[in-house]
This record gives sequence, C-alpha cells and structure tokens, in this order.
Amino acid sequence: MDLDKLRKTAAEVVSRDDVKYLIGWRRGTFGYRVAPHFIEDAAGVDELIFSPLCIANLANYLTLTEKLPVPRGQEADTRKVALLVKGCDSRAVAQLIVEKGIKREDVVVIGMPCPGMIDWKLLAERYPETDVAAEIGWKGEDFLLVRGEEEITIPRAEVLAEKCRLCRHPNPVLSDITIGEAVEPWAVAEDSGVAEIEAKETAERWDYWEEQFSKCIRCYSCRNACPLCYCEDCILDRLDPIWVNRAVNFSENTAFHLARAFHLAGRCVECGECERVCPVGIPLGKLNRKLARTVREEYGFEPGLDPEAEPFQASFKPDDPEEFIL
Amino acid sequence: MSAMLLNKEKWSEFIGKLSGKNLWAPAVQGEVKKYAPVAEGETVELDEGNTTVPPKALLFPQTETLYRFSTGKEELEFPGLDEEMVLLGVRPCDARAMALVENLFRWDFDDPYYLKRRELTTLIGLACNEPELNCFCPSMGGSPDSTEGLDILMTDLGESYLLETVTEKGKAIVEEMKDLLEEAPADALEQKEQLAKGAREKIRRGVDPDGVPEALPQLWEDPLWQRISAPCLGCGICTYLCPTCYCFDIQDEIEGSAGRRCRMWDSCMFAEYTKHTSGHNPRPTRRERTRNRINHKYSYFVDKFGVIACVGCGRCSTLCPVNIDLIDILRQVKAAQ
Amino acid sequence: MKDYVNPYIPFTATVEEVWNETYGDRCIKTFKVVLDDAAVRESWSHRPGQCAMIGLLGVGESMISISSSPTEKGYLRFSVMRAGKVTSALHQLEAGDKMTVRGPYGNSFPVDDWKGKEILTIGGGIGQAPLRPIVEYVKANLSDYAGLTTIYGARTSGDLCFKQEFAETAKVDGVCCHLSVDIEEEGWPHYVGFVPSLLMEVNPSPENTIAITCGPPIMIRFVLENLKKLNFADEQIYTTLENRMKCGIGKCGRCNAGNLYVCKDGPVFSYAVLKDVPEAFA
Repeated sequence: MDLDKLRKTAAEVVSRDDVKYLIGWRRGTFGYRVAPHFIEDAAGVDELIFSPLCIANLANYLTLTEKLPVPRGQEADTRKVALLVKGCDSRAVAQLIVEKGIKREDVVVIGMPCPGMIDWKLLAERYPETDVAAEIGWKGEDFLLVRGEEEITIPRAEVLAEKCRLCRHPNPVLSDITIGEAVEPWAVAEDSGVAEIEAKETAERWDYWEEQFSKCIRCYSCRNACPLCYCEDCILDRLDPIWVNRAVNFSENTAFHLARAFHLAGRCVECGECERVCPVGIPLGKLNRKLARTVREEYGFEPGLDPEAEPFQASFKPDDPEEFIL
Repeated sequence: MSAMLLNKEKWSEFIGKLSGKNLWAPAVQGEVKKYAPVAEGETVELDEGNTTVPPKALLFPQTETLYRFSTGKEELEFPGLDEEMVLLGVRPCDARAMALVENLFRWDFDDPYYLKRRELTTLIGLACNEPELNCFCPSMGGSPDSTEGLDILMTDLGESYLLETVTEKGKAIVEEMKDLLEEAPADALEQKEQLAKGAREKIRRGVDPDGVPEALPQLWEDPLWQRISAPCLGCGICTYLCPTCYCFDIQDEIEGSAGRRCRMWDSCMFAEYTKHTSGHNPRPTRRERTRNRINHKYSYFVDKFGVIACVGCGRCSTLCPVNIDLIDILRQVKAAQ
Repeated sequence: MKDYVNPYIPFTATVEEVWNETYGDRCIKTFKVVLDDAAVRESWSHRPGQCAMIGLLGVGESMISISSSPTEKGYLRFSVMRAGKVTSALHQLEAGDKMTVRGPYGNSFPVDDWKGKEILTIGGGIGQAPLRPIVEYVKANLSDYAGLTTIYGARTSGDLCFKQEFAETAKVDGVCCHLSVDIEEEGWPHYVGFVPSLLMEVNPSPENTIAITCGPPIMIRFVLENLKKLNFADEQIYTTLENRMKCGIGKCGRCNAGNLYVCKDGPVFSYAVLKDVPEAFA
C-alpha cells in the first residue's frame, strides 16, 4: 500500500466541489492508539495513515454524525462524505445502503484491501505502550514495530485481532477508488470462541453469560460504535414505555444485550467494533457471530456483500415457504 | 502523622483482621480490575496500576435504591446504610476525587446516601510507585503520594509497607493492628520520599491547567469543540469511569403493587441527558455535549467550588475507544487562547 | 442515615380541585393541592417564582412552578401541560387523589428589591403559569408597588390560561391587563397579534419598571429585542428558565445553563446575568 498515493488521492477527493469532508485515520496521541481523522481540506491529508492499528470502523460516522436543521434562508449541504474502508467496514456501508440508511450517491468510498489488523491489547502485553505514538506496518504476513532505531518483527499469530482471524472478506465489497493491491483471502480460522460456548451445558452457559453481563456498566459504547445501530430513538433508551430499566443489574443488562443482538441478526457485518470498544471486556462478538452464523447456515444469507440485495427479514416473496411474512 | 511499618510476612494476618470489616480491595474479575469484596480467608495482592472502575462505585453505587413504596402503605422504606466498609489500595487520585465530589454532595442539601456511606467508610490508600502511562495527577494538583481524602496512606517499600496515619479513623485501624506493626525508622520514611520523587519523575504526560478556567468562557464558539467531538461515540465510558463524575438519573420501578425509586449513573455525553419531554434538546449534538463536559470540569466546578473537577487519573484517555485524549484537549484549549 | 435530612423524600398532598385551562393534545390543567401532613402545611413557606417537584410514586417527578403566590393561603397551585410520562399521569388525577410534592426549590423574584417599582409581566401560553405568582403577590401587596401591568397572549383564546382570573384582575385599581391572540378570532374584543407586538403597542416606559417575561423561546427572543428597543436596561429584565430536571437540588448535574444550575441558581434570572450565558437561550 502506497501511503503517498493514498494521501494524494485523498487530497484530490477532498478538494472536489461535491465532497464535504473525508474520514480516515491518523496516529493517536500515545501508544498504539489511532484516531478517526476528519479531513476538510487537502492540508489534512498529511496526517492520514493506513496501518495495522487502523481497526476502527469509520462507516459508523455516516450515521453517527448529526444532521443539523438547516438555518432559515440557507440550503442543505448535500455534498458527499468520503471515507476509507477496509473489507469489514465496506460491508457496513453496503448494508446501510441496502437498508436505505444512506444513499450510494452520498458517499465516496475509498477501498483499502486489508492484510489484517492488530489487537493493540495483545501487542501491549508484549511491548507496553509508551507516551510516544507507535509506528507499525505490515511486513509480509507479519507486522513490523519501529521503536526509535529498533525494528521488531512480530509474528502474525501473536497479535492478529480475533475478528481478522475469522475474516472472510478482507477486500472491500464496494468502492469508488481502491488503494493497494487486492489481498488473498486467508484460511479462515474456526470460531473457537463460539464453539466453546456452544459446547457448554445450558447451566454452564448461563453462568458464563451471567458473569459477562454482570460486568456491563451500560455505557452503550457497543451500541454507539456499531455502524448498524443507528435508530435515532433507540428502543433501549425509551422511558415511556420503558422496555429496559435504566437500573444496572444482570437482568436489565441481559435484556439490553440480547435485544440488541437480535435487532442485528441478519444485519451485523461482524466488524468486531462492539467487542473492541467495551471497557470491561464483554465478548459481545460471540453473540453476534453466533447469530450471523445461524443466518448463514439456516437462510443462506450474509449481509453487507451486495448493496443491491434485499434486506434480510424485511423482504417477502410469494413463493416463500411460510404463508405469512411473520 | 505517625508512621508504622508492616512487614509483608504479616500481610495475610493484616488482611485477615481487615476482612472482618467488610473489606474491599482491587481484584481482577474477568479481565477487569475493579474493587471486589474480600471474604474471610481470602488474600489480597496489591499490584501496580489502577482499577478500571474507580472506588467511587462503592460510595456512589451505579444503581441504588432511594426508597421503596407499596400501595396502601403510607411509610416509605429506606435502605439500611449502616454497614461500615474498608477500602484498601485506594490510589491518591481516587481519594482526592472523593474529597472533591463531597463538595457537591454537601452543596446546600446534604445527600444522605453518599455522605452516610462516606462516613462509614475507611480509606486505606496505596501510594503509586509506578504511575501508568496516562497518569497526570501532578498537573491537577495531586501527587502519587497525596494523602488528601485518605485515612491511611500505605507505601510499598519492597519488604514492607509503610503506613502513615492521616485521620482519627486511620488511627483507630493502626491501633487495632499494633501487634503487627513496628515504628517506622527514619530510613523507611526517607525511602518513601525517594519512591514518591521517582514516581513523579516517571510521569511523562501532563499539562499545566493554569489559565484554562479563565480561557474556557472565551472559547465558547471556537471550532475546537467540533474538531474534538467529531470522532466521539457519545457513549458513557469517559464519564462513568471518571472518579469525579457524579451525574445521575432517577427512575421509578414498579412490580405489582410495590416499587422503588432508585438512582443510577447518567452521563452528560448521552443525547437524552438534557432532552426535554417536548423533544427540544439544548445540547443537540456531541459538539455541545463535549463543550459542556470540559467546561463543567475545568470552569463551572471551579466557579462553584474553587477546584478543577479532575484528578489526573487518566482513565478517560486510556479507555476512550477513539482516542479522545484529555491532555490533548487541554493543550488545544490553551493553544486556542 | 437518620442523622441526615433526606431531601429526596416527597410530601404527599391531596388534590382539592383540578380543572382544564386549555384543551386538546397538550392541554393544561390546574391543580389546587393541599399538603396532607399538618406540620408540613404549617411550616411550608415559599416565595413567588419558586418551583416544586410534583409527581407520583411509581411514575416519577417533574419540576413545576408553584403557580400560587404565598399570599394565597392553605393550598398550592400547579398548572401542568400534558407532555410526557409524569404529566400524563398527573392529568389522570381527580379531586381526592394524591400526588407527591417536594420543595420549594430554586430562587425567587426579588419582590423586596422591587418595592416601589412598576411591575410589568409579559407572558405567552403556559409561560403565564410561572408569572402568576408574581402577579398575585403584587396584586395582594399593591400599595408596596408603583403599579402592575400584565401583557398575556396565546395562539388562540382557547390557549389562554387563567381566563376567569384575568377578568377579575383587570378590575383592580392600579392594575392594567392586556390580552392578545395570535390570529383573528370571531368574538375576540382585544388585540390580535403576537405578544412582542402587543408589547410595542402598550409602549411601557422603562422608568422605574421591572419587566418579567416567560413563554415560548421564540416569544422571549422578540420580547427581549423589543424591551431593549424600549430602552429597558438589562438589570430591569427578568425571566425564568426551565430545563430537564431530576433531583431539583443541584446534585444530578443536568439542568445547568453554562455555570448556572436552573434548579438552584434559578429559575429566576435577570437578563444582565443571562446575556453572558450562551446556553441560557439554547
């Protein structure tokens, strides 16, 4: 991946009359952090990067960014938003288009074929974070960490993010511009995390999830980080009627997480953001991946691959085996 | 302030004696470091670093019942709130935070829930020999060995812990433990000073907040708020895990003919926090909410109580999933002046 | 916990009378309530402008202006617009039913500082409810003040509150009442137009006058503009703010406009203070 080409392309795109801003990534303020970078003019591309730490799904901002009411006498700003996407991120964009959450013509998609991202926590276990923002790149299948004069090769298996081990779509499924060569999809690992839980007896499974959901502090970071959770009036926030009490306890927390998982069934693109952002380490990915696998196996459907597809569970054909849409 | 020494060989006896007093200490529970109860017979390992969830959660629980009611009963039922508690291993930043938020819980009306719990709680602190990456307590008027808010300050000297008594409550505990303790010799105190000095030197990040409270009102319309808030997810991580944050919601729950009024943590970063029933929201986007949060901590709280509502624990910066970094924000505020 | 006074405990009160001020979806009802406990009733004292958290156990509480003046003895009045969960539940109450009352909270109109002055209230819609206590207070103590003028308007005559009382108030010597509706209406004998325009019609002199306004944000904006056109100084203009509230006692954190907590530093504010607080009119 040619960083200069990326920056040059980004500068061209953001300078277009019909583009409002471009969302990419920049090095964070310390350690292994990477921050979403909102670029409004060509000068901002100097900080643009694409590294194995660019794990955040920028598609989330397509619906998170508030649409302000247009002041009287002014016209609405209908310019496009450009964004960089990896394979998983592009699936979120495709699914949003399918659901009409966004319009295809409102986005300029810059696709970044992705060799795999690092789980920074695994990296920090081996090489603790420092106050200097780290420099990391890919080196063949592995990763290269630069610390001052030192160059350290880190084997892929040691720090690859779990969602990347399971990735079936490293190349963007849609893009207006692609930067970098297409990546060979790798042998997808078995989802040992989900299999392990499925192998438990019901009582054991209950105990496992009781421990996990009891950790939850209801910060809603999982929901807010999810590109497919974008209801303006989230049912789990409603107070009248109140579906999930605001009191934080195992019962309410479970209701929250299970309800959210079911609202995502057939829509979740397995980008892993929910699990990444959780401050108390709840393995939310397992819930979503189990439902995603069920949808794949039982319905032969995978969301976010084709922006022209019909939304799963929201379409009906006369020859469907069930008599009614429910 | 008297100083005693506890040889680590006596540690399990020390813990044994404390564990009968409803003892809580940092523990790793399912990958999360937080305060957990210590049962009789259990051991406690105090290692470096701070908890993810601050000890505020013990004095100001995430959810607590204010009172219960039921149809036909005139009297409300109140929670007991009479159990004493000992928190062990409290970092000086978190203790300072408790002292700080007490201003709020005493402002004109006493909050009996918080204050009663605080009264019944003894705080045994642990000085920080190895500050974490995002620690910046000295910038905010604290230090790795500050005693503010603590009843006892412990320092790990290697083979023993130094125990410095700060308050009468602390004195009572030290009295109880006197069979396990010995007078601290001068070189132990010297060693503690060296450790504290070393800890302060290890702190790599920080920002001088001088001028920030005065600058903020002038920066109300500055573009920096849009810049800072653009990546914000609008979640509650920074506020829920901040030891000086105390905002709460009050909700009624009913089951059949009985129910309770309870309060639970709330966050100024949530959209619904200020949303009127009419649908109008005076802080409609993350930009206004981010601006309000920073102004509250570094300007409004100063106006009201004379102190910045931040103790430099660094949790918000460490745990923000999109690298919104408080030190970076304060630097931007100073640069924008 | 017994050694602390618990500010979260509400008093119970019985609804003595309830009636509609307006009708429709977001109708307004006035509740005349009597505190149940005799000792509480005896010791209750509030000042014009203060509010109380009223509601029902199992539903919640809302901060509502105490719409009665302390000169009205033996009861408290609240005028409540049906808007959400708590107010809808309150609207189900009938005479004899109970509600909870917690307060009085907030600051009040500086009625002592204002002695000898001309008092002018400018209200719109439900905004007249927080102004009613000052109107009634000044009316009851008219000899302490130079005079009282009330300007009040609503969208239609059906949206006006306290209609009966206005008729009575207008008859009092030393009191001037001006009413308006926004649009032409058959049988409406008074001014037709928006409240800020009526204000210009009335053309009050700023000399020795205090103007207090409350109503929809858009009305407040234009009333403030017009008061400045009429040469009212910032210190002569007062308003009451509202925000979402939960504790009512300055602890839950949410009701602030800038560094002012509406439940404690307010709800009464002079424009001299608010003009430097950008969030005041958000």
